[in-house]
Amino acid sequence: MKFFAFHLMPFDKLPDDFEEKYETAWTWVPNSLYDPVHGHTLYNRYLDELVYAEEMGFDGVCINEHHQSAYGHMPSPNLMASILARQTKRVKIAVIGNALPFYDPPTRVAEEFAMIDVISGGRLIAGMVVGGGPEYNSFSMNPTYARSKYQEALDLIVRAWTEPGPFEHYGEHWKLKYVNPWPTPYQQPHPPIWIPGAGSKETIDFVAERRYSYMGIPYFHKSFFKKNFDMFRDACEKNGYTADPEQTGWLVPIYVAETDEQAWEEYEKHLFFFINKLLKGLVVFPPGYTSAKSIARIGSALKQFLGNVKNREQIEEGGYAMVGSPETVRQKMKDYIQDLGVGNILGLFQIGTLPADLTKKNMTLFGEQVLPYLRKELGVNVEDAAAVASK
Amino acid sequence: MTVPHETSFVKLGNKSIQLTVGGEGPPLLYLHSAGGETEWTRFHDMLAQSFKVYLPAHPGFDNSDGLDEIHSAADYAWHYVDLLNELGLDNVPVVGFSLGGWIGMELAILRPSLVSKLVLVNSAGIRVEGVPMAELFIDELDKLRELLFFDPNSPYVEEAMPLSFEDSRILLWLKAREATARVGWNPYLHNPNLPKHLFRIECPTKIIWGRNDQLLPLGIGEFLEKEIPNATLQIFEETGHMLPFERAEDFTAATKSFLLG
Repeated sequence: MKFFAFHLMPFDKLPDDFEEKYETAWTWVPNSLYDPVHGHTLYNRYLDELVYAEEMGFDGVCINEHHQSAYGHMPSPNLMASILARQTKRVKIAVIGNALPFYDPPTRVAEEFAMIDVISGGRLIAGMVVGGGPEYNSFSMNPTYARSKYQEALDLIVRAWTEPGPFEHYGEHWKLKYVNPWPTPYQQPHPPIWIPGAGSKETIDFVAERRYSYMGIPYFHKSFFKKNFDMFRDACEKNGYTADPEQTGWLVPIYVAETDEQAWEEYEKHLFFFINKLLKGLVVFPPGYTSAKSIARIGSALKQFLGNVKNREQIEEGGYAMVGSPETVRQKMKDYIQDLGVGNILGLFQIGTLPADLTKKNMTLFGEQVLPYLRKELGVNVEDAAAVASK
Repeated sequence: MTVPHETSFVKLGNKSIQLTVGGEGPPLLYLHSAGGETEWTRFHDMLAQSFKVYLPAHPGFDNSDGLDEIHSAADYAWHYVDLLNELGLDNVPVVGFSLGGWIGMELAILRPSLVSKLVLVNSAGIRVEGVPMAELFIDELDKLRELLFFDPNSPYVEEAMPLSFEDSRILLWLKAREATARVGWNPYLHNPNLPKHLFRIECPTKIIWGRNDQLLPLGIGEFLEKEIPNATLQIFEETGHMLPFERAEDFTAATKSFLLG
């Protein structure tokens, strides 16, 4: 069982009437709303929060990549990861991920990930993603090639890490005469590969076949996660092995305060800033980005999507966020983890407008009162125990 | 509809191509738009009163497969070189609407002998500086009908496109969008090299444009009239992008008088 602190690095200053005035927090949201002076404070504060996760005994930190978005203004997670590689000493650094089709040629991902892995002494987890639907608009990149570019790029990156160079790559999308990246990764044969998915069967089968790790795309009803993780475990069995729980991960917003009532009181408005403003326009499927059948499946799940949630009761019922006193969050998370059968928790401890002091208190309460309990209850492997002892 | 028509499949290499044929008379090849009007529609019927109308679905549209071999509008044009060859057609009039107009121009440049006359209706394929095209790849169907029709409440809207995601035609519509995006996402709905080849279109060309086309504004039609050697432009007033649906009688009458005259 491993615990990660995930940061989206949202932009937290949007006008109160944002949702009436703007159709989306993505791609087309005017960057005149951005304030670089505030951004300076924000980036540094967010990095501090991730560094604090190490102090609080987390196993790792997670960051991701988004473009032209207030939801997460971290277009280059590799820049952040390289800072974290220096500012932390022990935690895993999970970049989930690099949107492979946006790196041209994709050997840039092989290079940059290897740099982070070497600087951090082998602490990188390499996430590989297709990129969000709206981002195909941000880059005017043809979405009908999203999947085939992703597949070619991923294979090329793994090959660049595992096969001595130089070699030739003649693919459908890239023709490279001399593939020979320096440096090569610190971890051998290569860093662990994590792939997020929203439930498309093609992705699940692929991740299972390669024995990579499957991360549930966030913000859906718990039943949707359960179905996807079950599908993944079945796919592993079909490939002749039993899934390691650490091949699965569950991304969930978490808020812990002294009591249940206080937790909701402090958290609610910040969570709803996220739901009403930042999630707006996330779900966009440009033509050909995924199969019409997958669009239909995800489309029906959207009825149970956090962006459509209106109140606290729905959040509790659907397990969209874990909110409450340490005791409440302990019990809830233990039940969910056992039910979903996941081996990685990717907790969002800052969300929307949640300010620095409350974020820190949240992480402290979780780190001191929830994390040790869950580790004890749900089993700790040797590596985790060593990490805790060294703290 | 009065003219009998039949849909069959043509085997072309690895591809299976849906082809509807109706009417008697000289042949006419109709190249459909991004909307994928591959069903027999009023204006096909009107054309079929004077022509034997060939209405194929481009690869990736409707029940035609083969999108994996398509990477540009020129690939569609090569596909029509092969299809006309397979059908034994040569020197035929080509009527192309929007995406179909773009393919028609590429075809007339690649194989001038295949095209006797060209009718371009609110044609895609060209970007003119200072004439901004609107965004076609949006999900909101209400906004799309506002964009495409002069009168978004006209009864012809339903004939041309699904009105909601519950509409049974939605899967076909998603497929049509994907195939259009394949060739028209970036560069957006145009081939930057096309203008320098327009002088190679030798055949008589009729350009028909809706004055109120917001997707591909009239300035594009005016540019085409200037650059294609043997072209005349006719403007339909109070008409949007979906001109063949909005003005079926006028569109088919103008086409017939040009092709038969």
